[in-house]
Formats: sequence, C-alpha cells, structure tokens
Amino acid sequence: MSMAIFSPKIPSLTPSPSQSHGKTHVSFKLYLPLRPTRKLRFDLLVSSDNGSGVAATIPDETPVSSEETVGSNGSPPPPLTAKDPVAEPVKLVGGESSFEDPRWVGGTWDLKQFAKDGKTDWDAVIDAEVKRRKWMEDNPQSSSNENPVVFDTSIIPWWAWMKRFHLPEAELLNGRAAMIGFFMAYFVDSLTGVGLVDQMSNFFCKTLLFVAVAGVLLIRKNEDIETIKKLLEETTFYDKQWQATWQDETPSSPGK
Amino acid sequence: MASIALKTFVGLRQSTPENNAIVLSKPIATTTLPYRRLRVNASKSSPRVTGRNLRVAVVGGGPAGGAAAETLAKGGIETFLIERKLDNCKPCGGAIPLCMVGEFDLPLDIIDRRVTKMKMISPSNVAVDIGQTLKPHEYIGMVRREVLDAYLRDRASDAGATVINGLFLKMDLPQSKNAPYVLHYTDYNAKTGSAGEKKTMEVDAVIGADGANSRVAKGINAGDYDYAIAFQERIKISDEKMKYYENLAEMYVGEDVSPDFYGWVFPKCDHVAVGTGTVTHKGDIKKFQLATRLRARDKIEGGRIIRVEAHPIPEHPRPKRVLDRVALVGDAAGYVTKCSGEGIYFAAKSGRMCAEAIVEGSENGKRMVEESDLRVYLEKWDKTYWPTYKVLDILQKVFYRSNPAKEAFVEMCADEYVQKMTFDSYLYKRVVPGNPLEDLKLAVNTIGSLVRANALRKEMEKLSV
Repeated sequence: MSMAIFSPKIPSLTPSPSQSHGKTHVSFKLYLPLRPTRKLRFDLLVSSDNGSGVAATIPDETPVSSEETVGSNGSPPPPLTAKDPVAEPVKLVGGESSFEDPRWVGGTWDLKQFAKDGKTDWDAVIDAEVKRRKWMEDNPQSSSNENPVVFDTSIIPWWAWMKRFHLPEAELLNGRAAMIGFFMAYFVDSLTGVGLVDQMSNFFCKTLLFVAVAGVLLIRKNEDIETIKKLLEETTFYDKQWQATWQDETPSSPGK
Repeated sequence: MASIALKTFVGLRQSTPENNAIVLSKPIATTTLPYRRLRVNASKSSPRVTGRNLRVAVVGGGPAGGAAAETLAKGGIETFLIERKLDNCKPCGGAIPLCMVGEFDLPLDIIDRRVTKMKMISPSNVAVDIGQTLKPHEYIGMVRREVLDAYLRDRASDAGATVINGLFLKMDLPQSKNAPYVLHYTDYNAKTGSAGEKKTMEVDAVIGADGANSRVAKGINAGDYDYAIAFQERIKISDEKMKYYENLAEMYVGEDVSPDFYGWVFPKCDHVAVGTGTVTHKGDIKKFQLATRLRARDKIEGGRIIRVEAHPIPEHPRPKRVLDRVALVGDAAGYVTKCSGEGIYFAAKSGRMCAEAIVEGSENGKRMVEESDLRVYLEKWDKTYWPTYKVLDILQKVFYRSNPAKEAFVEMCADEYVQKMTFDSYLYKRVVPGNPLEDLKLAVNTIGSLVRANALRKEMEKLSV
C-alpha cells in the first residue's frame, strides 16, 4: 500500500520501511548531488519533528524531490518514470504518420529546448532540421492548415552557418591553394630563377596566380569541370532557342 | 534592335529587291537610296490586291485564334476562323492576369473566381502565404476555357470574321510568288452528318493558332520544341472545404511532386483542379499526381474526381515561327513562359500582334503581305516580351533545380518585396526595375537562402550514407 502511495508523491511516514528503504536507497544516491540543498532542508525539518522517524522520513522526502526534479528538468537524462514511451520521435502508422519530435512545437523548432549553457545550441537546431527534412523527403506528408509549418532557416544566425559549413571548406580550399602556390613558386623559381617577390610583379605570373585561385575555388571535385561546362551552355541556351527563328535559312533545328 | 533588323533582312527572299524594281513607278514614302530599301517599308511596294480584300485564314479558335480573327476582321480583312470543336473544354489552369481583362475588354462575368491569395508549400511543408501586397482591385482571374474561347470567337464573328467549324487537314504551299495558299479541311457545318465534308479554301496568308500539336507548324516545317506534360484532375470537394479555396490557389514544390515544375490546386467554378507537370520525367507523371494529392490530402479529402485531363505545354518557341505568309502564334509558336507555365495571355496577345502586323502591312487589306510584314510582328513580340521570358527562365533554372533550391524559393516568397515584384510583373506583364537598394538586399537574401538550403541538403546526404 505504501508503494502505491509513494508514486503520487504523497510521503507516508510509516509502513514497510525495508522495501521502500531499498528503493529509496538507490534514488537517494542518484539525486543527492542534484538537489543537495533540498535534502538539507528536509533533514532539518525531519530531525526537529521526531527522532524515531528520522531514518524513514529522509528516504521519504528524497523520492518526492527526485520525482520533482524529473518533472521540472524535462531534459535528456533518462527519466525513470512512465515518460519513456511518449517521447518517441516518429510514429509510423501506415502513412498516417506525421513528424513528431518533442522540440518541434507549433510548426517550428522551440529554441528554448535547445538551450545549452544558457545559449541556444545552433548546431543542434541545424541537426534537428536536417533530420526533419530527411524524414519529410522520405515520407511526404500532407500539408495541413491546422498544423502549418512556419520554420524559417534565417532564424539561425549567420555565424552558426559560417562556423559549421563555410569554415571547414574554407580551410580545405586555402590548404589546396597554399600547396599549389608553394610548389608553383618553387617550380617557377627553379626554372627561371625569378624569386617570389619578382614573380609577384610579373604580369604572366600574376595571371597564373589568378587562374590557380579561380581553379581552386570553382573546381572542388572532378565532376565540377563538366558541371561548369554545362552551366555555361545552359545560360545561353534559351536565348538561342528564341533567336532560332531569325536564322532563317538554317532549318536544322538549332534550338532543340 | 537594329542588329535584329539587319539580321532579318539577311534571311529574306532574293525576290524582294526585284519587287521593288517592278513597282518603282509608284510613289514610295522613302527615298530611293539603296540602304533605305532595307527597312521594313518593303511591304509598301507589294502589289495591290485587286477586286477583293486580303484573305487570311486563322487555324484554331482558342484565345490566340479568336484575338487574331477579331483584329483582322476589324482591320477590314476577309477572315476565316477554322475551329474543330466549338465547345472544347480544354484542360488548362485557366489563370489570366489582370491586364488581360483591360486589354481585351473582357466582361467581368467571364471570370469565375478572383484569386487574391496564393500559398506556396515547400518540400518540407513550410507554407508561405503570398498576396498581402495586392491592392483591393488586383486579382488573378480564373476562367473556364470554353467560356473564354467562345466569347472571343463570338466577338470575332461579330466583327465580321467567318467562323468555320472544321478540322484543318493540310496546306498546299504556293508555287509562285503571290499565289494563294490552299487549305484542305473537313467542314462539320454541312448537314452531312458527323463525318463532315472535305473542302478546300484559298487564302493569301495563314495564321497558325492551333496549339501545341499545330498542323500548320508541321506544314511549314517549323521544327519541334521540348514540351512539358501537364496532368490535371478535377475534383469536386465539399462546400466547406471549397470555402478555403474561395480566392486562394496553392502551389506545391518538391521532388516528390515534380522534379522540374510544380504541383497545383487551383479553384475553378465549383470544384478544384489538382495537377502537376514535368518535362524530364514524363513517364512518372502518375506518381507525381499521387504525390500532389497526398500533399493536399487534408484539404481535398472526400472529394470525387470528375475529370482527368492532360495536355502538352511548350517549353520554348519553335525554331521557325514565320515562313513566307504563314505565321504561328500562341502555343503553336511556343509562347509559354517558364517557371509559371502561363500561356493564355501570351497566346491572345501574340494573335492580336500578328493580326495588327498583317493589317498594317497590307494597309487594311488592300495590298498583299510579305514575310517582312510578319517579321514585324516577331520583332515587336521579341522586343516587348523577351525580358519577361528571360527572367522567368532564370528563375526556373535557379529555383526549380533541386529540393534545396525549392526550399529557398519558398523562403524567399515570404519577403514582401519579392511578393510585390512578382505580382507587379505577373499582373501587368512588365519587368519593373524596382528599388536598387531593395534589389541588393533581395540578392543577398536569395544567396543566403540558397546557401543555407544547400548546406542542409549536404548534411542530409551525410545522414543517408
């Protein structure tokens, strides 16, 4: 009976101390560091009441506080209570599913739930949005008016994007450019005897430098060469199709 | 545009200077300096058409044909409008811009609905409402094609054109310079039952307004174009759900809905049209249609499909739009914009422009027309609408490329400046320069959106690996 009473957080002072003692012993250890001040207060209260109930009351109070700590924190440390089955991200019930995530509230990400050390953890927001988009792509959902999606990626500040995406790539490209630069400078020097400072004032060398920088920036993978060629053709393709009627005597479908 | 004028002359027939020599006795407005003859005034030296007015046949009675026939008839030209199905209920989005109502004097009861709000929905279901910048008198008109087409044809008939219910079969090109074109068609007017009667007709010029599968275009070897398939289902939904679509249209973008176009829900008179289109993956159109229906499921649930239709949409103009005294207009010429797939206004406008060029070149039907007169229409058309087409092409290339680009597209649409510019250019068909500072901000925001969306996509790919 006391077990049942334990869960609804109403402390009972008396029966079956052995069982409850065992249980509370565990929780006592776990939550002690979290709420030391609370425990102290309870100690004072308890000790002032009655000496016989000291051993029972202290364990009584800590499960209460542990319950409350779980309730108020609501954060990732595994809750020992029945909250587990509810916090599942995705319910797959034959096409009727929708994107479920405790941090996805009202059609957008609840930034308060991404707090880390008092500041928003933007990397986690980006990760969450990536997962959501991936899930949406794999499971296209009906767009409903009752639960509209209003998330806008521009709420994530520019420096978060920079740190995560731009800087690693910039490091890579700068590294490539530095390697190319060093070896080209050495190579040209060994061939022509022109030192680095004199190379910089030479027009041909400056052109080579420009080509090298442009190459490093534009061609990041082998496929990029083909892609750039296709893009260049694409920019003028539509114009050619429109001009086709003015190339009168060449009906060999130039604009197909 | 002077360079284009020179180019056009390069392609003209060698016979033109001969013609000038023959009729040198006639007083010509211009001087006889050789380079002056290179101007388009060559038409003024065409021979007079004696005893009758110029005869022009307009093949196809849609918006292009109807507008062309009306302008021709009003200009005093003997006009024949050949249409194979007078009550044709065409599969079409049915959206017309505001300027069309004014320019073509359309009565307001032709318009079933006035759309003043649009919802753009991204691949991850981010929904953005556009239309807040519209003024109270501005709207996108939704029409039923059979009503609009019939109205324009009736107006042409009232102006003096002869409307023939017949199917154009083929056309004999003239063997000599001013010989007529011989058109072969099946006339359904006669009381010989549904089979119709084969007839021929001789005309001096032909306007091909017979749509995406134009036979006139085949007759002049105009060449082919890439086309998109648009697939649409008309769905009757409950009145309650219909209220949501009272004056709202939706656009769904995403690879599931279409790899290079968009899916839509457009309201019609008492039902909605749910459809999608594609150029590159025509075989998967049914799959895309299912995906579109899924995305709109909550809003069209319980509806009955009352009609399924599909039609081709040209992606770019045909290689040849004018040959001798035959000109193509509308879908037959390929005047559908990219990105939005809009064609009704451009069809009607091109029909009218071509007819105006013929009226002017023939001096109200007194003279024979030449290819140079028809090229006047092409020149005017290209000059007026080229910026619109090019901008829409760039938009399509940038924003319909991939899912991240589509996400960025929807994000950009939330911006008020974008909405204002979009609607201004759509409703009035002019590319307005706009505020340069705002344009700069817009460019920066666009690049930002695209970069963010693509960065997220790269992370998504890492997840799937």
